[in-house]
Amino acid sequence: MNVPLHDASPAFDPLRTRADFPLLTRTVHGKPLVYFDSANTSQKPAAVIEAVDRFYRQHNANVARAVHALSEEATTAYEGARAALARFIGAASPDELVLTSGTTMAINLVAYSDLLPRLQPGDTVLVTQMEHHANIVPWQLVCARSGAMLKVAPISERGELIVERFVELLTPEVKLAGVTHVSNVLGTVNPVRELARECRRRGIPLLVDGSQAVPHMPVDVQAIGCDFYAFTGHKMCGPTGTGGLWARRERLAAMPPFFGGGEMIREVRFSGTTFADPPHRFEAGTPNIAGFVGLGAAVQYLERLGMANVFARERKLLVYASDALCSVPGLRIIGEAPDKAAVISFLVAGAHAHDLATLLDLEGIAVRSGHHCAHPLMQFYGVPATCRASFAFYNTTDEIDRFVTALDKVRRLLV
Amino acid sequence: MSATGPYREIVLDHHRAPRRRGRLAPPVQAAEGVNALCGDQLRIEVRVEQGRVVAYAFEGACCAIATATASLLGDRAIGCDADDLAALEHRFAALVAGEIAEDAELGALNALSELARYPARRKCALLPFATLAAALRGESHATTEVSV
Repeated sequence: MNVPLHDASPAFDPLRTRADFPLLTRTVHGKPLVYFDSANTSQKPAAVIEAVDRFYRQHNANVARAVHALSEEATTAYEGARAALARFIGAASPDELVLTSGTTMAINLVAYSDLLPRLQPGDTVLVTQMEHHANIVPWQLVCARSGAMLKVAPISERGELIVERFVELLTPEVKLAGVTHVSNVLGTVNPVRELARECRRRGIPLLVDGSQAVPHMPVDVQAIGCDFYAFTGHKMCGPTGTGGLWARRERLAAMPPFFGGGEMIREVRFSGTTFADPPHRFEAGTPNIAGFVGLGAAVQYLERLGMANVFARERKLLVYASDALCSVPGLRIIGEAPDKAAVISFLVAGAHAHDLATLLDLEGIAVRSGHHCAHPLMQFYGVPATCRASFAFYNTTDEIDRFVTALDKVRRLLV
Repeated sequence: MSATGPYREIVLDHHRAPRRRGRLAPPVQAAEGVNALCGDQLRIEVRVEQGRVVAYAFEGACCAIATATASLLGDRAIGCDADDLAALEHRFAALVAGEIAEDAELGALNALSELARYPARRKCALLPFATLAAALRGESHATTEVSV
């Protein structure tokens, strides 16, 4: 079962990389932890934890408000993180990146600031069958306010977007399309460049949900050619409560503020307020400064590893795990797109997903069970829940072996 | 802690071979219990004579915890009236919340005491109780999920 892995770069040493993550040395229920829930949230390397710690110990102050040294340092660190993130995703300038609490807030910002003012009764918003609730519910809310409707592009049984159907559904009533870059349940990598090209041809703005892509593969938002790209920090080795929305400067400049408050204004009078330029226009109130300092450190960390190496390493883990799981009787993998990220959703005949996950937890193995915030996708497959093992570059084939052995053991208990 | 957590042998046995699975001939009082987030769904039917449960049956597609609890509850429910079952439910809820230790009144249902360590799974064990209580009150549906 132990096939040696040939990694993309000799500089990428899986075991040394794993040692960067302090939490991975702990035990759960007396067994060494196997953490296969990175699609839910990733673990954090020491470099990120230390950056947050250092910020609070040495530099803590509010940003862009005071003239004292600490405030300058905090502002430099916060804006430095924005610049690092912008570079990481291929933005032309840091001004094109609004820092948000995560993907959910980024999508809501687009829904209320960009889309809602344009929506009329009879308009539609196009999403796909495989979206996370965060790329469904905000659109439903603004549709309900405006009399617009949500349309859904179908997927195949293998879990691939049916691109021709998506393109057919790009009719003039569509005022925005929202598509996930990588499905959090199926692992499917969507052809976002092709979708962006089709949307652009018809003048329909495309939002790409990059939550599961930015942590796992090189992403270049300009090459994709979408209008909005939303992502979250906590799945890419950064702290929770961090994320971003990318859009071109002129698009952001055309959007009215969503939240009002400090930081986002130029001048406030009771007779009227003028607003700061993007991206600060969309960042009312004191931001998650320490969180973004941590996310900046996460970006540095990932750049040092190299996202091509991360992608290659995780691809090897995916192939290894998919092959190994074939040996478990009654196991069915949900999501069999050829272009797939390191996420495996599965069912085991006769065993409920929650029972499997609880019993695996007793073996020290953390997987997610449930609907994965994707009810419509569960409905498509006609299942209430799946188990999901999701991998990151810090996982090993030994862990996969332990997982498969444990899964077979708990299956025998239940079936 | 037990090596199998809430999955003691008696729980696994009642999951693999549930007792009183199926339906009753009418007249029955029945309710559907649904935990939509989990995907647990069961129907409990009881026949009540002079205020006491004289027959019990359940069916549905649930996790092992809910199935085993529904099966164990059937053993315990026969001969009880609504007040007995309300008291039993109260005691069982305290057990799986870790508020009381194992309790003689609960009999084999004590096997689920490890759920005290698994708060996310308590609702699975409580679903059959809530469904039975709904059936006795003449209500058609029950859930033990709060919205999240």
